[in-house]
Amino acid sequence: MAPPSLEAADMDASLETIRHQMVQLLPRLRRFAIALTGSTADGEDLVQDTVERALKNLHAWEQGTRLDSWMFCIAKNRFIDTRRSAKRGRTEPLEIAEQSAALDGERAMQSHLAFQETAKALQALPVDQRQAVALVLVDGLSYREAADVLEIPIGTLTSRISRAREALMTALEG
Amino acid sequence: MDRETLNAFVDGELPPREMARIAALLEGQPELKAYVLKQEKLRAALRFENLMMTAPPASLVETVQAAPVSWRWRLRAVLGRRFVVRSLVPATATLLAGLIIGLTLQSSGDLVQSQGQMLARGNLAQALDTKLASSGYSGEGPRIGISFRNRVGNNCRTFTSGGQAGLACRQGSDWVVGTLVTQSAESGGTYRMAGSEMPDAVRRAVEASIQGAPFDAIAEAQARANGWAGK
Repeated sequence: MAPPSLEAADMDASLETIRHQMVQLLPRLRRFAIALTGSTADGEDLVQDTVERALKNLHAWEQGTRLDSWMFCIAKNRFIDTRRSAKRGRTEPLEIAEQSAALDGERAMQSHLAFQETAKALQALPVDQRQAVALVLVDGLSYREAADVLEIPIGTLTSRISRAREALMTALEG
Repeated sequence: MDRETLNAFVDGELPPREMARIAALLEGQPELKAYVLKQEKLRAALRFENLMMTAPPASLVETVQAAPVSWRWRLRAVLGRRFVVRSLVPATATLLAGLIIGLTLQSSGDLVQSQGQMLARGNLAQALDTKLASSGYSGEGPRIGISFRNRVGNNCRTFTSGGQAGLACRQGSDWVVGTLVTQSAESGGTYRMAGSEMPDAVRRAVEASIQGAPFDAIAEAQARANGWAGK
């Protein structure tokens, strides 16, 4: 039997790997959360909450299964809970801060407008459709993975995405 | 053709043969093609690349690195060898399978070892360089599955060759084969990512590394025209 110190070292290494994977996931989680909430500040709060919960409930994650799907699932649930508890029927203007340091002048302006327009169209979607879009079209998960995260049948997912697509196209073309 | 099928095409969710069939069909159907192009544009806009280029706030990184971890997880990690057993057994099996396959393929000249990496050569390298999945399979030599860009910007392709399946990614002028398995009865579960014949290990490797959707016929041809160079 290996000495306990070795096992403790294994655990630390394992935990370090998990934390490292979570850091790698942060940009995707943040984008997903901003797409859901419509605001950079709320999105980052949601990621913060998600990360804390994930670590606090790490025993619930089955080693060997996908960490990203599990964390998206936590983020989705937290988003729904937060919406329920804080009656956020807010109609504040969108405040997605876009970093476009690499762009300048007219191009930056155009890019900024396109970004705002897309983000606004996304916020106009019903929550269930927005979640589906945030996973499949924004993050690029497969239908199966997204359906698993949302805990819905794949047919429900594809029909939500179809409806969302129509609405987004109308909003962005109109 | 119904919208859901077209959407699934845009999302890269159809089996390779169906992807190729629709890609070919679009050429003669300007209306459908216009729809597909619009949907691709929408997907591109929704990717919010600018957000991905922004580093997450330091406070978030700090939370990940310092937030307390479930005591139940710690307890299990210290007391249970389950983690080790669970991860070592499949890893050893994969390693053994990889060695055997490696030796088989190597003897045919399709794979070489170089500085700890497995590189495609011969027929396999040629198929990865030149074949388009969207043109259909000729019935001879290695068969290409899906092509996609991975998270670090390299182009990758899945393939099957002589009972083996794998994933190769372009690095410089080489195809680095990161995953290689025998195609066995391991076909359980439903298909994903347009890869009905993709073994689970290859599928997982794809899912873990893919950025966005798999290439459609147009993107696949463009990538080939660019010599599979990443960005």
